Amino acid sequence: MSSNATIVSPTENVIQATTHVNGHDPRALISMRNIWKTYQMGTESVHALHGVSFDIPRGEYIAIIGPSGSGKSTLMNLIGCLDTPSQGEYWLNAKNVSEMDDDELARIRNQEVGFVFQTFNLLARATALHNVELPLIYGGVGASQRHDMAKKALTAVDLSERMMHKPNELSGGQRQRVAIARALVNHPSILLADEPTGALDSHTSMEIMDLFERLHSEGNTIIVVTHEHDIAARAHRVISIRDGLIEKDERIK
Amino acid sequence: MERSGDQEVKPRRYTFARADLPARIRSFPFVRLTAIWEAFRVATASLRANKLRTLLTLIGIVVGVTAVIAVVTIIQGLDKTVAQTFSSQGSTVFTISKSPQIIKSREDFVKFNHRKDVTHEDAQAIRRLCTSCWRVGVAANALDTVKYADQKAENVRIRGIDPLSMFDVDGVTIDAGRIWSEAEGAAGREICVVGPDILKNLFSDSPPDRVIGQELRIAGRPYLIIGVLEPLGTILGFSRDNVVYIPYSTYQKEYGARRSLVVFIQVPEAEQLEAAEDQVRTIMRNRRGHTQDDPNDEGFALETQDVFLNLYGAATSNIKLVTVGVAGVSLIVGGIVVMNIMLVSVTERTKEIGIRKAIGARRKDILTQFLIESVTVTAIGGAIGVGTGFGLAYLISALIGFPLLISILSAVLGVGVSSVVGIISGLWPAWRAAKLDPIEALRAE
Repeated sequence: MSSNATIVSPTENVIQATTHVNGHDPRALISMRNIWKTYQMGTESVHALHGVSFDIPRGEYIAIIGPSGSGKSTLMNLIGCLDTPSQGEYWLNAKNVSEMDDDELARIRNQEVGFVFQTFNLLARATALHNVELPLIYGGVGASQRHDMAKKALTAVDLSERMMHKPNELSGGQRQRVAIARALVNHPSILLADEPTGALDSHTSMEIMDLFERLHSEGNTIIVVTHEHDIAARAHRVISIRDGLIEKDERIK
Repeated sequence: MERSGDQEVKPRRYTFARADLPARIRSFPFVRLTAIWEAFRVATASLRANKLRTLLTLIGIVVGVTAVIAVVTIIQGLDKTVAQTFSSQGSTVFTISKSPQIIKSREDFVKFNHRKDVTHEDAQAIRRLCTSCWRVGVAANALDTVKYADQKAENVRIRGIDPLSMFDVDGVTIDAGRIWSEAEGAAGREICVVGPDILKNLFSDSPPDRVIGQELRIAGRPYLIIGVLEPLGTILGFSRDNVVYIPYSTYQKEYGARRSLVVFIQVPEAEQLEAAEDQVRTIMRNRRGHTQDDPNDEGFALETQDVFLNLYGAATSNIKLVTVGVAGVSLIVGGIVVMNIMLVSVTERTKEIGIRKAIGARRKDILTQFLIESVTVTAIGGAIGVGTGFGLAYLISALIGFPLLISILSAVLGVGVSSVVGIISGLWPAWRAAKLDPIEALRAE
């Protein structure tokens, strides 16, 4: 979208500053330092990530792209604090996430990360409104404030008319917009989308990507994990992963 | 350099910028009532959504609680019956006798046998000296055969009493006819007042006023029936109405003066019982002190009606325990049913657990959610079980003829215990759910 031009210039400066290899960059929102992830498959150790390092400044729109088995999903799980690295440091919003336990990670996921999944992952029995309220419930927000925030979030994704509908009464695009409202209702540091258009037709996909662009223009940090090049092309920076390593890290806008 | 995007952009309408966020959301409260309420909401929604499953779980618990409540209620009814029966003499009565009613060992039996008999003189001394005592009387019992015409009843309790106030101490009242006069009693006349069982067994259930004036033969000697008692009923299957009252002086003529007596002492109010007991004990010690062979033995037994209740309690406590235990087993089975269903529920909802964990539910939140679900279903089952348990107890009580004792305590206990069953059987499934790996849980289905 046309309004993006103003945002790019300050973030470019940040990227140039992130050349320290030792220690995290305190100015970066996300700072990954020499991240390894090793899985034990029987007697064999499989390295899903072989020492990955990168920084993401606040307000960036970034795509992580790679074929299946590249370590892209592992990286997404680490960024989303669903998992911790076997080795290396991950700093998210000035917190060292790599050494956190289950409940601390849950708190970080609640406060700092908004997930958008390929298959939406909404609670089938709950209304759109309740789905959006869920992160606030686990965040301990009181009922009236929660309602208020969730309604605003649904209005912001143009679903004010559909708040009391359950997921099976909504179209795919509407469901994904509910998921986006849920991801952002708690005002997280990052919006982390895993193949967000993978289950949508091309027209709806465009709508969702337009929405991402708008959210980015409003100041949100967006990370899209995908294997589709045209989706990745909507981002301003693309990190390509192959065989557990960063193959390319390029600014495209 | 530090300036970030959200400060740069002027939002055109509501945006998700962090600056909009109310301050208190950043703090993570420790007590999260909202999460507990959410857990309860989810639990009830899930119970509603799986009606058949909920019903099966409920039945498991309902059967268990029903059994326990019914058994406990019936036992309480039984206890109440027994307590009422024994205390018809009242908690204002105690006795002095040669040996206690319950003898626990052979040695005791020998010891009690060596004691001096309790006599009429002892009773008179108590009557004279005990200022706290209200009524003092003597009674002696014998089992004998009673005949009327060609009808015969064996093992009838022949009870000789003196004075007339012993009728009141015994708690019996006249249904028809009269009791004897002081003069008749002192004269040792062959007159008697009979219990209703005598009418039933010897007079083919004639109405009481028809029996008055008839002649009864006790141990072969003729007695004139002058009165009939109101029925007292049965206790544990034994009739308390199979009795013939005769004056004590008549009893002495028939059964001899050498038998030991029981002295009955009644106080006006239960509060005075202890003072009267102390006085009587002192009086009896003085009377026995000189003649004792064994200085360690008081030489008499002072007992209240509690001994019967204690005996009853001792005799039935194990039976009660076993019965409640057996009923409790069905509650345990109910608990296992709940655990099973909860495990199924956790497996079915793995995806949901993954979603909740991804958006910030902690182990505690998931654990609470499933625990509340299992406690909710068992508490409801418990409440229903309390109702059906009381219903069942009502039916059984009506059949046996017990009073029905609906105790709030057992209702509260029924719901409480089933909730505990819910916690115990929900704990393992809930813990399994809580420690699910979010990545794997999200991959489910």
